[in-house]
Amino acid sequence: VIAAINFQVGVDAVSYGALFAVMALGLALLFGVMRLMNFAYGELIMVGGFTMFYTRDLGALPMVLITIAAVVVVAVLMELIAFRPVRHAEPLTLLITSFAVSFGLQQAAFMTVARGRQKGVEPYPWLTDQHHIAGLRLSNLDVLTLLVAGVLLVGMTMLLRRTTIGMQLRASTEDYQMAQLVGIRGNRVISFAFAITGLLAAAVCILFVLRTGSLSAQMGVTPLLIAFVGGAIGGLGSLTGAALGGFTLGVLVNTIQSSLPVDLSGYTLMFAFLFVIGVLVIAPNGLLELGRRVWSAGTARVAVLRRRAA
Amino acid sequence: MSSSLALGTRYLRVIWTPLVLSTVIAITWAVVEYASSVTLEEDAMRLFLWMMLVLAWQLFSGNSGVMSFGHIAFMAAGAYFGALLTMSPTLKETSFADMPNFLASWIHPAQLGLLEATAAAGGLAAVLAAIFGIPVARLAGVAAAIATLAILVIMNTFIVQTPSLTGGSDVLVGVPREATPGVVAIALMVTIFAVYAFKQSRHGLRLRASRENEEAAQSVAVNVALERYIAFVIAGLISGIAGALYAHYFTGFAPPDFYFGLTFIVIAMLVVGGMHSVAGAVVGTYFLTVVYLTARRGEVDGVFGVETPSGTANLLVAVALLLALIVRPAGITAGREVPWPGALRRGGAVAASAAGTVPQEVKDALAAGSVRSEAGPATSEVGSEGSSRTPSADRR
Repeated sequence: VIAAINFQVGVDAVSYGALFAVMALGLALLFGVMRLMNFAYGELIMVGGFTMFYTRDLGALPMVLITIAAVVVVAVLMELIAFRPVRHAEPLTLLITSFAVSFGLQQAAFMTVARGRQKGVEPYPWLTDQHHIAGLRLSNLDVLTLLVAGVLLVGMTMLLRRTTIGMQLRASTEDYQMAQLVGIRGNRVISFAFAITGLLAAAVCILFVLRTGSLSAQMGVTPLLIAFVGGAIGGLGSLTGAALGGFTLGVLVNTIQSSLPVDLSGYTLMFAFLFVIGVLVIAPNGLLELGRRVWSAGTARVAVLRRRAA
Repeated sequence: MSSSLALGTRYLRVIWTPLVLSTVIAITWAVVEYASSVTLEEDAMRLFLWMMLVLAWQLFSGNSGVMSFGHIAFMAAGAYFGALLTMSPTLKETSFADMPNFLASWIHPAQLGLLEATAAAGGLAAVLAAIFGIPVARLAGVAAAIATLAILVIMNTFIVQTPSLTGGSDVLVGVPREATPGVVAIALMVTIFAVYAFKQSRHGLRLRASRENEEAAQSVAVNVALERYIAFVIAGLISGIAGALYAHYFTGFAPPDFYFGLTFIVIAMLVVGGMHSVAGAVVGTYFLTVVYLTARRGEVDGVFGVETPSGTANLLVAVALLLALIVRPAGITAGREVPWPGALRRGGAVAASAAGTVPQEVKDALAAGSVRSEAGPATSEVGSEGSSRTPSADRR
């Protein structure tokens, strides 16, 4: 019985973690291209949430499409209006700018769409239908989450590896100035990066809102925080690292939440963030890079030992 | 001219910036006392307490170049601890009946005065800052910013989840209203002098050197982590004192009061004013406080008969911050302190030799927004204070 419960926790945690992996990926993309830690990423989720609210009666497919379109447009506009003018500033200035955009969007939502009574999107009943596979409860939403996250992660990898714009993006992530020198158009690449983060945010938003249902002006803050620090754990400098970090933290938060005794489970965020501080001290550039360094140091050591033995 | 006058001028010059800034505070306080209007007094108290926080931020972030999102956590600690020490014992026994015995045994009967409670609150905040500062001081840039953000979240979660010590997510009420505008104004003036003195001290200088070029500072034996640590703890102390004073003026508060909203306002004030100078902290606080409180009045009473929706004030602060970052990234003061008046400058050689003065024409040109090209020999100085540098290869 205990093993079954643990597995159950595992399934929930994995679908939760997948959600945050997708989010952290979006954050890492922007961080790579322009050293931007985007606080306003959470507000993209909020924008998507309210778009879903106003289009909820149109049916599932139109709602999803309109939401994606709206979030992508807001993401691109965000870049044009706020981030383009400070493009070449220090990372710190960019961070503060995104903080301002985030706070401004929250307040704008607070003044308009989030006013009045609490709004929410009712999840479709078929989403919460549960299947029992090998003793595990698995809802359609869990399946959908894993599926979408998987498709997005694979799709992103393909996009970045196989297409021209993807390669330009990766080149700009590696060395922005050098990429410009060889003729890559910076504005286009960055707009494209923002559009992609918009797409990722829209996907996260839809899955997240279908899970929780409630909307508020500040609904983006907690998921953002978790993805933010998750990305930092894995290393925002690399897309794989960030996705892994987001996944790990998502799983961790979910597992802590369900395994701590009830009077301690409220402290989940606290423990998660203490863990984050610890990781940052050991590996400021993320665990992936630390792992690589340890690995290469280890292989070098092995090589030395072999040579000595020979 | 006698040498004693020249000596007096020199001393005056050293304390010129904090003196002028404190005078502005004193005038504000005098106006509040004279007007004896409750709303004006509350506004002025908000201004004063915000300014203390902005000064704490200037001391750490302004000098070190490491952005903190976390010092509001130390303010919260100061507010709750200070309140617990002054509330009436009978109230504490009912509100905090579940407090663990080892704390309840001395917190329940404690009934300190404002001064002792504030000192204790500042002490606790400093101790917490000293603990959290150990990891933060070792980090730089974005990693440090995330670590401080984590501190804020940790503190907020702790307060909300520990009702036996803090009242949890409910509003904590019943704190005696012992802080007066006079007390806060004096605390603020002392803070201004202290923050300015820190900036001019060897620690401040080392920290500023590490902000401009960390490797160069290290190469002349500056222990960057240690200097950051010192500034982090002092800023924590100031935040804790501000928290205790906040608690004893506004008398009721809840966890959301010490979270992202306040953090945002404080950072906005610092950046809009110019984060590299104490004068910037003061100017930014005055500017955004006026904007914010005017808009808040509009939300409650309406402006020209139109009631602006609630949230306008915060939105305006966000817009002001964005505009400042785009148009004037170095802030209103562009990192300069209060200028030594031109009439006194002609007086002697002492004035002319002092560092940090920018010719009046340059200042006018800067104020008019036409910058840099015609500014002449002083441009390098102005430029070095600016924060809009292209990211260089070594940053990546």
